[in-house]
Amino acid sequence: MSAQTATDFLDASIRSATPLLLAALGETVAERSGVINVGLEGAIIAGCLAGLVGAAEFGPMAGLAIAGAAGLGIAIIFAVVAIALAADQIITGTAITMLGLGLTSTLYRVLYGDGGAALQTPTLSPIGIPLLRDIPLIGSALFDQPVPTYLAALLVPAVWWGMYRTQFGLALRATGENPAAARASGISPKNMQSFGILFGGLCGGLAGGTLVLAQVGTFAEGMSAGRGFVAIAIVALGRWHPVGAALAALIFGMASALQFLFQALDLKLPYQLFLALPYALTLAALALASGRYRAPKSLGVRLNVAD
Amino acid sequence: MTYRLKSGNFARFSTFSALLIGLSLAACGAPKSESVDTAAASTGTLRVALLTPGPVSDQAWNGGAFAGLQRIKDSLAARVSHIQTKTPAEFDENFRLYGEQGYSIVFGHGFEYQDAAKRVAPDFPKTMYVTTSGNTTGPNIAGLEFAFEDGAYLAGIVAGAATRSGTIGVIGGQEMPPVKRSFYAFEAGAKSVNPTIRVITSYIGNWDDASAGKEQALAQIGRGVDVIFQNADAAGLGVFQAARESKGVRIIGANSDQNSIAPEVVLGSVVIDLPHAFLLVAKEVQAGTFAPRVISLGMKTDVVRLVINPALRTTIPASALTAVDSVTKQLVAGTFSAPVPPITAVAK
Repeated sequence: MSAQTATDFLDASIRSATPLLLAALGETVAERSGVINVGLEGAIIAGCLAGLVGAAEFGPMAGLAIAGAAGLGIAIIFAVVAIALAADQIITGTAITMLGLGLTSTLYRVLYGDGGAALQTPTLSPIGIPLLRDIPLIGSALFDQPVPTYLAALLVPAVWWGMYRTQFGLALRATGENPAAARASGISPKNMQSFGILFGGLCGGLAGGTLVLAQVGTFAEGMSAGRGFVAIAIVALGRWHPVGAALAALIFGMASALQFLFQALDLKLPYQLFLALPYALTLAALALASGRYRAPKSLGVRLNVAD
Repeated sequence: MTYRLKSGNFARFSTFSALLIGLSLAACGAPKSESVDTAAASTGTLRVALLTPGPVSDQAWNGGAFAGLQRIKDSLAARVSHIQTKTPAEFDENFRLYGEQGYSIVFGHGFEYQDAAKRVAPDFPKTMYVTTSGNTTGPNIAGLEFAFEDGAYLAGIVAGAATRSGTIGVIGGQEMPPVKRSFYAFEAGAKSVNPTIRVITSYIGNWDDASAGKEQALAQIGRGVDVIFQNADAAGLGVFQAARESKGVRIIGANSDQNSIAPEVVLGSVVIDLPHAFLLVAKEVQAGTFAPRVISLGMKTDVVRLVINPALRTTIPASALTAVDSVTKQLVAGTFSAPVPPITAVAK
């Protein structure tokens, strides 16, 4: 493998991993509070469209913020139904994903016509960090990236600090383990879980904004293409820990990049083998990663009315 | 049509926000009931439905079909309906839905709808089921077959002449027979100009992941590919972006005229005039003269053609354009047709 190929491969790995990491970090927080948000896919696709529309008016940076806001908006619906009305999380999440996919398609056609238009939005250009970006091999992958990549990288320690070094984080994790006990010690499980959901939605929206504003430069219906579900798998693979999620997202990103590379190498093997690679590797990693880590005890469990 | 996004779209943004909030509230409210419309069944208006496997905003395969549906609506004053199917189970379900509602024609837009048509059609003899790229026939099943590979062969000639690196690529959504045929012909066309050319094939695995489409293209570009023929619908939109960001890379579009998506990088598009084909079927059905059959359309009927992007015409070697013209004449005259892969040739 030539140096250029290796650099290209690492670049592609980071690009593929970025939206997944953003979404997975949000979902990690949500799941540690005891909520499994299957509606993540809906937040991502909402972020995609909002990013496009927002960037058209206010520029790509504001577009990214608006993408996050759209994810937050979708998450508010989820929080109202799943927490305030105490509905089943999986069913609510599935409905939210369907809502997000349908709503964005409808809005896109209302805004830009039935046939759709080949919209082209300016993208966030990479910001190189002097000196560091010239490091051979990993320089461009790590230090010559658009804003969302740096944001995702900085969110990893931020989420870790918030979750493990603050009172708030302790309360959040306690809720995910045992809401009744948390309540007995004066924590409001509903508030904790609502926070987890909203943070998850915000990150999901940012992931969608990343796809449009840092990668594709346009919107395509359904372009989230299952990333919300992959992110949920990454949370489990990352053992519900932000650093774990970062590693898992990186594994998945590298496996995807490997898949792209293998096809381009013209190996004359069935392409389905390559397409399955990221999933096969993730499964293998999941199997090897078993151990003393486990999901938050009350993950997916509805709160009692009293909580 | 290309809309360049600029500031001054505030109205659009406000509409977006208002609609988003409005629709979100509506979605939270009472469940909507789908009203089944049977009133028009007896009035004699032609009713035509379309099932597409992907979004009609893809500027490609599905967009062309939707334009065809609109053409039928406008030309024949027909009532039309469209549903985007997501899973094969939905093929049967929606074929049935339209059959029950007494639609005259239901287009299943793609090779993959044939089995569902075979299962459902016998139950609704008054509805004509037409599958595009299909070769199944029955009392009320017909197929629309396009010699897309002839256009792809011409695109291969252009790509073979335009490449500087001697390596070109093809990117598809999924490996379906019509896609494979088009890539095979493209390669043959390229080799007719440049026998030593290398052709790299990648599949995205779906038709809507535009980000993965871009990555597949970047990976090919990294291996020296400088002309890419893409046939991946909405996912293919990412391929254009990859070319925009890379130096000296050109794209050839497929199914609809994609030249305007990225005029600075698209050499041309292999176009299927789906509106023309759809209208042909609808007119015959309305007149009551339609005989269920496989309708083959191609260069001769001007339904399949290679549309060169005028903006980049001068960058294509003149010899290639001459070759395209002379091969086009042979294709129209029927003295030549693009080669098809051995396996599909047997299946035919």
